[in-house]
Amino acid sequence: MSVFEVNNINVFYGRTQRLFEVDLPPLQSGDVLGLLGANAAGKSTLMRTLAGQQDFRGGAIRFAGQELQRHRARHWLAGVGFMPQTPPQESALRPFELLWSAARALGVTLSDQALTQRIEALLARLGLAERAMAPLYSLSGGKRQLVGLALALIRDPQLMLLDEPTSALDLHWRMVVLDLVQERVQAQQGIAIAALHDLDLAARYCTQLVMLEQGRVVAAGPVAEVLNPANIARVFKVEAQVEIGPMGYPRVQVLNAIRHPG
Amino acid sequence: MEASFRELGWRRLVMLGGLLLALLGSLLLDLQAGPADLSLGQILAALWDSEQLDLRHRIILFDVRLPDALIALAVGAALGLSGLETQTVLNNPLASPYTLGVSAFAAFGAGLAIVFMPTLPGIGHTLMLPLLALLFALLCGALVLLFSRLTGGARESVVLFGMALFFLGTALTSALQYVGDTEAVDQIVFWTIGDLTKAGWPEVIAVSLCFALVLPFSLRHVWVLTLLRAGEAQAQSLGLDLNRIRLWVLLRVSVLCAFAVCFVGAIGFVGLIGPHIARILLGEDHRYLVPGAALCGALILSLASFLSKALLPGVIIPVGIITSLVGVPIFLALIVGQKRRV
Repeated sequence: MSVFEVNNINVFYGRTQRLFEVDLPPLQSGDVLGLLGANAAGKSTLMRTLAGQQDFRGGAIRFAGQELQRHRARHWLAGVGFMPQTPPQESALRPFELLWSAARALGVTLSDQALTQRIEALLARLGLAERAMAPLYSLSGGKRQLVGLALALIRDPQLMLLDEPTSALDLHWRMVVLDLVQERVQAQQGIAIAALHDLDLAARYCTQLVMLEQGRVVAAGPVAEVLNPANIARVFKVEAQVEIGPMGYPRVQVLNAIRHPG
Repeated sequence: MEASFRELGWRRLVMLGGLLLALLGSLLLDLQAGPADLSLGQILAALWDSEQLDLRHRIILFDVRLPDALIALAVGAALGLSGLETQTVLNNPLASPYTLGVSAFAAFGAGLAIVFMPTLPGIGHTLMLPLLALLFALLCGALVLLFSRLTGGARESVVLFGMALFFLGTALTSALQYVGDTEAVDQIVFWTIGDLTKAGWPEVIAVSLCFALVLPFSLRHVWVLTLLRAGEAQAQSLGLDLNRIRLWVLLRVSVLCAFAVCFVGAIGFVGLIGPHIARILLGEDHRYLVPGAALCGALILSLASFLSKALLPGVIIPVGIITSLVGVPIFLALIVGQKRRV
């Protein structure tokens, strides 16, 4: 039985259609779905739609027997952790304060002590223990992105929607973040969907991949099926080779940009 | 982590206590300043037991100085609080009820009363002025609300619309000055500068009551307001309905600000720098910042009220001149001194 289903989603911005009949492969608990595509392919739009922040027409989005309805999006979000592309802004707010206030603003029913433990564990895991009480404006873009991830996880969500969670991070923290996502998905029988730009990371951490091009799904399925030179050439306009790397994951070697795509 | 979080909370509580003490100090300073010589000792004794003073001094203290000093606190607190909330929900450090046009509209309402001297049965001319100022300030708030509803509450357009209303209010007031006679023009100018000395007990009670009614709503929103400081995208991603929150906050802010300015005139700057000083002293946690911004606003206006009487012996400078003249350098120093961007 699939736990998360997305069927036939259409999204319009005004009169312009941005997503066309999008289907995602049915996801089971434990799955990590990677969303791949060039800039403006519709990854963020799809992410916002799945989070209940963007109206869609036709079709349905279901998670664990519950159907997403726009007017009950707040209810839906209680089980969903959505990390938007934009990290927390550079205010004088401190990460610990932010997480604490967020939990209280959202009505997380934890005692002060339990909430403290959850925040401390999250921050420690993301390497923010030292900076927990430093103002956000003093943190680097990467650190703020990590704070954003902690914020998305504050409600302990079953479904994680991560819009380019590693775009500002260096190699080490990219691995730490995706290790954490994988670990949570497995430990809690959850599901994660992440928009990613790094094909090697996607190959390593995802169980399923979806490629988007101009608002349409052009390839979907297990990693080995989707990540091939033909799909990469179509979506990213580069010539590439895919081989199995020393760790046993597919590895993408980009050869050159295709000069006159299409 | 948690230890330093709690320690920070204590430090901020102490800071709030300090602000409260400073406020009491400035209230006493303000009470003691003025031409009739009343010593601090006499004032304290009379506050304890009014029979301690002779009639003339009693009238000066209780009917002139005390209402003036208290309206400074009430108006300052109201402007500080409404400035803070406007800045937070519009995510704009330059926003304040002033920049939303509320004060400019209030000035136009006051100007109408001054030039045309309308009367209503049962309402004398002296009441018409604050009444019209209030009505027009509320009208401005209603326009801002209506506009943010129509545009879905996008914050940049709210800020720009507020600026447009500000210019409209200013232009309408100029038009009134053009048709009014010299005396009316003088009065309008005087009103737009802002002046605390015309307030009596009913005004003090009206503004304080409005503040006391709005404050609980602000306090109930402190977690959400703090969360908003992480940015719009973050708050939205957690499922907060930002447009609804913004609408509610703008509603209570414009009512509060309308009441604050309708009696004393368009006092500038307090609603802008009060919150900034509070942010520097207290950080961004709105549990402390909401009371802190009100305290800072009250403190600034109270000190300005004291200065307006103490700077030139025998002359009371309109308080709005002081807040702007002293406020601008302080504000610039703050901008240069602080390196953060938001």
